[in-house]
Amino acid sequence: MSDEIRAEMVANVWKITTEVGAEVNEGDTLVILESMKMEIPVIAESEGTVSQIAVSEGDVVQEGDLIAVIG
Amino acid sequence: MTRMSARIADLRDPEARLRALFDQGTLRLLAPRDDSGVVAGRGAVDGTPVIAFATDATRMGGAMGDAGCRRVVDAVDAAIRERVPVIGVWHSGGARLAEGVLALDAVGQVFAATVRASGRVPQLSVVLGPAAGGAAYAPALTDIVIMSDAGRIFLTGPELVRSVTGEQVDMDRLGGPEPHGRRSGVVHVTTRDDASALAAARGLAALLGRQGRLRVDDVVEADLGAFLPPEPDQAYDVRPLVDKVLDAPGVELHAGWAQNVVTTLGRFGGRTAGVVANNPLRLGGSLDATGAEKAARFVRMCDALGVPLIVLVDVPGYLPGLGQEWDGVVRRGAKLLHAFAEAVVPRVTLVTRRAYGGAYIAMNSRSLGATAVFAWPGAEIAAMGAGAAVNVLHRRRLAAAAPEDREELRARLVEEQAEAAGGVGRAVEIGVVDAVVEPGRTRGRIAAALAGAPLARGAHGNIPL
Repeated sequence: MSDEIRAEMVANVWKITTEVGAEVNEGDTLVILESMKMEIPVIAESEGTVSQIAVSEGDVVQEGDLIAVIG
Repeated sequence: MTRMSARIADLRDPEARLRALFDQGTLRLLAPRDDSGVVAGRGAVDGTPVIAFATDATRMGGAMGDAGCRRVVDAVDAAIRERVPVIGVWHSGGARLAEGVLALDAVGQVFAATVRASGRVPQLSVVLGPAAGGAAYAPALTDIVIMSDAGRIFLTGPELVRSVTGEQVDMDRLGGPEPHGRRSGVVHVTTRDDASALAAARGLAALLGRQGRLRVDDVVEADLGAFLPPEPDQAYDVRPLVDKVLDAPGVELHAGWAQNVVTTLGRFGGRTAGVVANNPLRLGGSLDATGAEKAARFVRMCDALGVPLIVLVDVPGYLPGLGQEWDGVVRRGAKLLHAFAEAVVPRVTLVTRRAYGGAYIAMNSRSLGATAVFAWPGAEIAAMGAGAAVNVLHRRRLAAAAPEDREELRARLVEEQAEAAGGVGRAVEIGVVDAVVEPGRTRGRIAAALAGAPLARGAHGNIPL
């Protein structure tokens, strides 16, 4: 089952720390967002392979926007 | 085939489940076994007296009729009389349809008994199989719900959902550990199997049933400061810090839900204590509607059951946005204000890094009646972050500055603002922080503050907020 990782809040995409095809474990950081003057890591909720990254560095994401897909 | 089904029947046997829950050889049934569909008994958990009941999944899928419900009510009432924890082991399809309204009335009496006991004795639920309809609400009314991998909680099963809404879902997706552990907040603890679910119930029953005494001399210091990252805007996981503040790693409740707030039960100086902490790893540690509600329920449970609180604050504010407002962040955030302000258990706050705005107030501030408020050196306590404050307060001055000078001016203003408004010294001066404590001396200060406060317990139930 594929797992869609979505933004939990409005934020800037500061850094992408994974790539399509990477094997990730639960708890791994995929992307680091910046919001409320804080770095906010986006974390894998399950283990699997990153099949899509839907954002680029510098993007602004809204709450609920797709960030990445695992599986 | 017959041997296999006999073994399966054995594993679901309610008496066997109660035996696995209690210390070996301590189970005494409250009534002889019959066809009521419920077995109840008393026994010991780590030496602490506990009452428990289990629905009989080997009989009509554990369905609850008049006689079975009466047995649950008797068990709960006995626990109230004897002031001991009560644990329900659930595997039941709900009310016995054949008994009609009589069964509905009986299930309603189980709900009423659970509410009667609420806040007076610790109530735990262990869900080991499907718990549907009435069997869903009975655990939901208790203080803590534990679910094994085989547990399912839902009001209406997949068949009915399909026929009414057309949605194709299975029981797991409808009410398994994933949805209830991560999305709904119905379940506090999920486990990989039945044995660990029963073990978790044992651990929590011992924590809540035998809370012990705080021994200040037994509290040793730890290098708590090492858990903060070097940069102030860096995220970190607060859970290792929570574990280190306690004597040993505790039991995190609602670990997969509203993860921006951490709620953990454990021991501090040998005594049971609850920790509420912002987790900067999630949403930057900001409070949101769900996180505030989760914390509020935990605070009220601890207050009702006489468990002192330690509140670790690192919060940049409330999460802004349309989603939050429409989600009722005002109404649900108000629950946390209410919960802390009404709590009479000793409750000590430690600001580790920052506490801004309305979220500062909500996290057991002096104004809400904290027993003591400590802060680490360098902590920032302010109406908002210095950067944001400068943008508001000096908007015109910044706009008037030459573009090439603007950033330099902003940096200077931010520095001045941080010193003037957010410095921890100012917070001590006006009395909202009692003392600045070194991270390496924090455990002792918390212990002394908790020990110095009168032992009290909130006189209220624990409504599942």
